[in-house]
Amino acid sequence: MGNEAVARGAIEAGVHVAVGYPGTPSTEVIETLSRYAEQADMHVEWAVNEKVAFDIGAGVSYGGARCLVTMKSAGLNVASDSIVSVAYGDLVGGLVIYVADDPGLHAGMEEQDSRIFAAASLLPMLDVSDSQESKDAVVNAFSYSEANKVPVIVRSTSRVAHGKSPVVYGHIEKVGRKPHLERDISVYTRASPVWCMQQHANLNRKVDALTPLVEKDHNELSLTPGQRLGVVASGVSWNYLMDVVSRRGLELATLKVGSVNPLPVNLFSRLVAQVDRLLLLEELEPYVELRLKALIADQPRKVAVLGKIDGTLPRVGEYDYDLVEKAVLKLIEAPEASDPELASRRDEARKLAPRRSLPFCPGCPHRGTYTALSQALKELGYEKGEVIVTGDIGCTILGMHPPFDMCWTEVSMGASIGLAMGLKRAGVEAPVIAAIGDSTFFHAGLPPAVNAAWSGTPVVIAVLDNEITGMTGHQPSPASGFNALHQPVDVVKIEDMLRASGIDKVSVVNPFNLAESKEAFKDAVQHDGPSGVVLRGACALVARRNRLTRPPRYVDPEICTGCLLCVRTLSCPAMEVKDGKMSINSDTCEGCGLCAQVCPFQAIQGGDQ
Amino acid sequence: MVKEYNILISSVGGQGGITLARVIANAAMSMGLNLRVGETLGMAQRGGAVQSHIRLGDGVHSSLIPSGGADVLLSLEPSEAVRVAGYLGPGTRVIMNTVPTHPIPVMLGQATYPSLKEITGALEAIGCEAHAMDATRIAWEADAPRSMNVTVLGAYMALGEGVLTEDAVKEALKRSLPARYLEQNLRAYERGFEALPR
Repeated sequence: MGNEAVARGAIEAGVHVAVGYPGTPSTEVIETLSRYAEQADMHVEWAVNEKVAFDIGAGVSYGGARCLVTMKSAGLNVASDSIVSVAYGDLVGGLVIYVADDPGLHAGMEEQDSRIFAAASLLPMLDVSDSQESKDAVVNAFSYSEANKVPVIVRSTSRVAHGKSPVVYGHIEKVGRKPHLERDISVYTRASPVWCMQQHANLNRKVDALTPLVEKDHNELSLTPGQRLGVVASGVSWNYLMDVVSRRGLELATLKVGSVNPLPVNLFSRLVAQVDRLLLLEELEPYVELRLKALIADQPRKVAVLGKIDGTLPRVGEYDYDLVEKAVLKLIEAPEASDPELASRRDEARKLAPRRSLPFCPGCPHRGTYTALSQALKELGYEKGEVIVTGDIGCTILGMHPPFDMCWTEVSMGASIGLAMGLKRAGVEAPVIAAIGDSTFFHAGLPPAVNAAWSGTPVVIAVLDNEITGMTGHQPSPASGFNALHQPVDVVKIEDMLRASGIDKVSVVNPFNLAESKEAFKDAVQHDGPSGVVLRGACALVARRNRLTRPPRYVDPEICTGCLLCVRTLSCPAMEVKDGKMSINSDTCEGCGLCAQVCPFQAIQGGDQ
Repeated sequence: MVKEYNILISSVGGQGGITLARVIANAAMSMGLNLRVGETLGMAQRGGAVQSHIRLGDGVHSSLIPSGGADVLLSLEPSEAVRVAGYLGPGTRVIMNTVPTHPIPVMLGQATYPSLKEITGALEAIGCEAHAMDATRIAWEADAPRSMNVTVLGAYMALGEGVLTEDAVKEALKRSLPARYLEQNLRAYERGFEALPR
């Protein structure tokens, strides 16, 4: 896997510290390193958010050691404040930022093109197309970073980060540490404009100095005399291009672009001086294309460019073989190879497949939370759809789907609380409830909680504490009681944090107990001021792994009337409907007992009811 | 020498599709084949549609199968076979488990689930060679209820594609999966091998 290759690269580069915040598709780097931490003599940890992770990384570098910091594209935004600043000063130990984008949105959220951040931060950035390159880029990035005293970004995308291809290992470097930082405020602070502008000029010089090295190591030009048609490709697009070339036996001039900053401008110049037509293959924004077009505009000879600007290729979504093949056929002016009749048969077949939405897992505590909240609002006289619940990032947002239909918004980590406050300030009279998970709360929910108390805004902060970062695959949060290496540590209690924020009205309930949770919500909603409800119940998948689940429930078919209220209220994947009655799949039921609490006929039995 | 050979695995989260892909990839790797593996899992921890692309051969560079490019589809659930119809073409050989996993709207009668006849009909209209098997029951009968995915692997090997050797696949079962399940898995494999409908 690309991410495992990144981890291998960190080990080969003799990294001393690796730190990140979980985020698909970047998570497996720290997960992999946590398994080899002891063997590689590396400190590996999850930070509460990406900014803290990067600040730790900068500190490691200032302290003379090597650090890898990992995040997804959205996390880069969180860390960007510090990254742009640290870019100005000089580093001591090598510092590499690994960021994984998600064209095609396999994990949801935005299709951010983080390459543009290279332009904003001025930092060197490498782009990778497979596992081997992912490993090699990390190893090289550490040597560039340390030699030029500047952070280097390695950028990947979902298909590369989660794709698997063979990797040839290199040797593991033994890197010494250079402990202690020399105090030099003209390098390590930005307070003086004079120093700061000097640092800015230094940064530009450092990146320019890297150009020849990066151009040689991370780009590949294949150009033979007489070739008039060329293709420039970066990232995963390169692989699709190579598939097209291999399947169709084509001979084209090609340039693989593996460095986003600095771009291989000398190779660009050689290419545009010879070819007549160029195809640009890069996912998301026309980053390379714009630069190439500028270069072409500067030369007297005209070169036609097929890319995003002329509409040959889209700026939205990921590329695939078919898209690239179509573009290549346009470049070589060959007819499109499509069979409309076969295509329509495929469409007919596809239409047969029923939609599969993402339900909460069997035994998920959030199912209890949203059911109890829904019951509480109903008992207080609110109609379904009358109360706004601002959702947040993570599994908790799945409360937006039927049958719950609770969450109205999803913006960014921790945004649920600020949004709820704003809605109240806009004059919303009905209660507004922010629903946020434990990891998300620690990431960016604490400042707005303090803000809610400070401004006295009457919002309900519901923290759905499943004691883990769920959506990304169960990395610990401060609520978990263990660290990245699965060593036990003290739990940071969310109720303590809420109270310390200045919110006096805080309750802690068990989301598998509907009556208790419902009462807590009713109480909080009616409170005149900000309030918190912490709903603490272990993630079902973690409970199953730790063998903490209870025996499965079963349905007494003699009592079950087939009303299916349980299915309509809870929509648990462990439920099956057979002959008009609900039955429970004993393999997947976790014995949470919510269905027994909603059944009006006591038809659901078993467990410790 | 294999130039390009594409195996697609289609399943519902939790059925073992990703594990099956790992076994096949490890078998191919032990045979020294060039390979690329790609997965479309999105947020599907449980209950979502999951696809694994395994691409073998010297002419292979990307980890996604081109449209119509699957040589073989192993579908662990019937409707998941038609969901990936875009990757299928004339001559694609399909092995499909016949036991459905119904989404909630289907249970509540708010959505329809296609019949097996409709599914095989749609596959045959594309020109696929469809083999349906009750892999779930076969795994139960082999006293290996959690190895449904491995019965499908056994049936795949019975197709006689000749790209992967039986030794490599059995070795991969041994090395890629927990040792305590090895006997169950080997039983499921054998039953699956014998069960391939002809």
